Amino acid sequence: MKNHMTLSVFDLSTCLGVNPDTIKRWVRQGKLPVLPKGADLRFQKKDLEKWAALHNIRLNLSDKKSGEKQNQIEVSLSQALQNGGIYSDIQGNDVVTVLASCVKKIPQVPDDFKPDLLDRLVERENAFSTGVGNGMAIPHPRQQLSYLPHPMITVNFLASPVDYNALDGQPVFLLFCILCPSLQYHLHLLSALSFCLRDKDFIRFLKSRPQMDQLVEKTVMLQETNPL
Amino acid sequence: MSLIKKWRARFSPSLSHVDDRLLLIIAGSIAGICSGLAAVALRLALESVTEWLHPFRHYWWAFLLPAAGALLSGFYLEKVTREGAGHGVPEVIYAVSKHGGLLRLRSSYSRLISSFLTIGSGGSAGPEAPVVMSGSAIGSNIAKFLWLNDRQRTTLVGCGTAGAIAGIFNAPLAGLVFSIEVILGKWEFSNIIPIAIAAVAGAEVSRAIIHEQVLFNHLFFTVGTADILPGICLAIFAGLISVFFTKTLNFSGKFAQKTRFPFWMRALIGGSAVGCIGLFFPVVLGEGYHFIQSMISETFSMGIFITFVAVFAKIFATAITLGWGGSGGIFAPCLLIGSLTGIVFHKTVFLLFENAACASEGAYALLGMTGLISGVMQAPLTGIFLVLEITGGYETILPLIVVSAISSTMSHYIEPASFYFKDLIKRGQFLRPGTDARILSDLNIKELITTEFTKVSENMLFREFIEIIKTSDQFFFPVIDESTGAYKGMIELRSIRRYVLNPGIYDMVFLNQIMDTDVLTASLENDLQDVLEMMETNNMESIPVVEHDTFIGMISKTRILDLYRRELIMQTSVR
Repeated sequence: MKNHMTLSVFDLSTCLGVNPDTIKRWVRQGKLPVLPKGADLRFQKKDLEKWAALHNIRLNLSDKKSGEKQNQIEVSLSQALQNGGIYSDIQGNDVVTVLASCVKKIPQVPDDFKPDLLDRLVERENAFSTGVGNGMAIPHPRQQLSYLPHPMITVNFLASPVDYNALDGQPVFLLFCILCPSLQYHLHLLSALSFCLRDKDFIRFLKSRPQMDQLVEKTVMLQETNPL
Repeated sequence: MSLIKKWRARFSPSLSHVDDRLLLIIAGSIAGICSGLAAVALRLALESVTEWLHPFRHYWWAFLLPAAGALLSGFYLEKVTREGAGHGVPEVIYAVSKHGGLLRLRSSYSRLISSFLTIGSGGSAGPEAPVVMSGSAIGSNIAKFLWLNDRQRTTLVGCGTAGAIAGIFNAPLAGLVFSIEVILGKWEFSNIIPIAIAAVAGAEVSRAIIHEQVLFNHLFFTVGTADILPGICLAIFAGLISVFFTKTLNFSGKFAQKTRFPFWMRALIGGSAVGCIGLFFPVVLGEGYHFIQSMISETFSMGIFITFVAVFAKIFATAITLGWGGSGGIFAPCLLIGSLTGIVFHKTVFLLFENAACASEGAYALLGMTGLISGVMQAPLTGIFLVLEITGGYETILPLIVVSAISSTMSHYIEPASFYFKDLIKRGQFLRPGTDARILSDLNIKELITTEFTKVSENMLFREFIEIIKTSDQFFFPVIDESTGAYKGMIELRSIRRYVLNPGIYDMVFLNQIMDTDVLTASLENDLQDVLEMMETNNMESIPVVEHDTFIGMISKTRILDLYRRELIMQTSVR
């Protein structure tokens, strides 16, 4: 029961987005409807609402924080790898055929969307190669794929290395396909992944064609030592 | 006409060399004389038409007279001058605060004619609001003719208003006070002098044409200290009545709009209704000065109960007249309701305490009038001066002030917005000088916008963008479609900082993958108030302005604060 309908100086200062000292000054200057009793200042909710309406002031009395926009769930790299899965023996002898057989293997993409996804991946490669060097590439579409339930990275080991127009000219043996339902995840995952791919140990580890649990363990370790 | 133009072309430029104050005083007195003439014309016209229609009042079909008047007035406003009905005072206040007092020339006569038709035929309204509208339009157009600036024009609008009130009531002080208290809302030295002169001019015109000293004559009242306590009670009573009156007026207007009848149908129904009330209570018809006179001079002969009912009859008649398409003001109805209220109160006091040592009935009618005027307009000074001047009852001044103060406080407590301001506040058009709303409405988006931004294409590689960042000092980059130039999204440096520090993805991403596409955007048509609201709700420091898919620029809080402060200084600086 106590203080259900009243606010303290501090409560009000957060509601109005000002310093508590400002509230105290306004009370001293007689500009706020303050409750007359008590040593510490208290404000009645009803009076404040009336006052705000009269002065055309926005009063944020409800407890919901306005910072809802920030709390998007971040998906960690290891989680995305687990979502995606590891595929080996990808057939193909050029960029398009390799990508085609990659796309074919992803169970989360509905069959109807597969040709479209392939087009997008190829289009992206034509714009600028995603071969990051050291025999690895990160193919991804430039658009978001809203049909996906969650963001994922599929790891594809090629049967034989393919010339990928990579930055360092090396043939590519490993593809990380980043597929995301929204662009925010995409950028985050891409950034995290490309960070890992600059680590020499990690590259050596990848060349050993690890299993999923090893890969996850390794990425978690890397992420922890270098939080982005 | 061409002669006038020639004259203006020759003299107006040289007017800018004349001292500002002198110019305003001269132009103000001209405005005062013109609006005084308009006021006197309306008053004489109303007197003669009332006399002319008097014989017909006794026929059974007399209730159709107000209907005919409202119909004609509605047709005239709707078809000939194309102006809204009602009393027009809020429009004047809005014009003063938003458009520097700019009013149309036709407003200077349109309301005069329509209210002449409404009131002359028996509609329950007063002639002073139409006269205020005319007077202010006259002042505004004199200013326009002389090529004066907004500030000077506002003062001349005040002059016209003061002249009109002074002319119609023969009350110069009331004109001055009403003009400043209600219309301009700013007690400023440079305003008061020309408006005072204009009020004198208006009153002089009225006195020269109609030879009378005061509007209502009365016997000498003996008012003593004993009247203060009943005065306080009367003030509370009058305050309640005035709140009821204001609410009824508002309700009636809203109700009439909800019915969706064509305007002539509304006028017909409203007018007949008023006419029917008038058959039983002739006191409600017209401006009712005749009855006020009889109440003040204590020749009023209705019983206590009938008088009490008459108070409400008049309230409803006025609400119907004004709400359903008639045009006219609320001063005169306030005066009549007020004096009826005073009489009822006085009779009740004497019913309860047979030998109470109170002043006479007429004095209480006076106090009641003050109570109503102050309560409805929430303008205590106007109430005091108006009643004092139209009756010359200076002996009642002490209880009068008390009544005025308490009644307006009472009404303000129940209903913080007065009758004149209520609609304006609801529409967000109540913009008194020096207030936040006024500054925000004066500043517009175009003045605040910063347009120098390097735009980037959505197909740009991140690496190229990094090169741009290196040499640029922008925090925001608008992303556009390179072929059409259409706006696609925004990149804020703050939100991409962690990607900027990771060279691994420089060649991996294009800008359309980085940009934020859900940024709220404003358009040039938005009010600054709305834009600020948008920024505040979403915690934004800057907001992009996009018009027809094209990026125009950005508005930042820093820039707003900067200009806001300058605007505040400009608006509140004393001249």
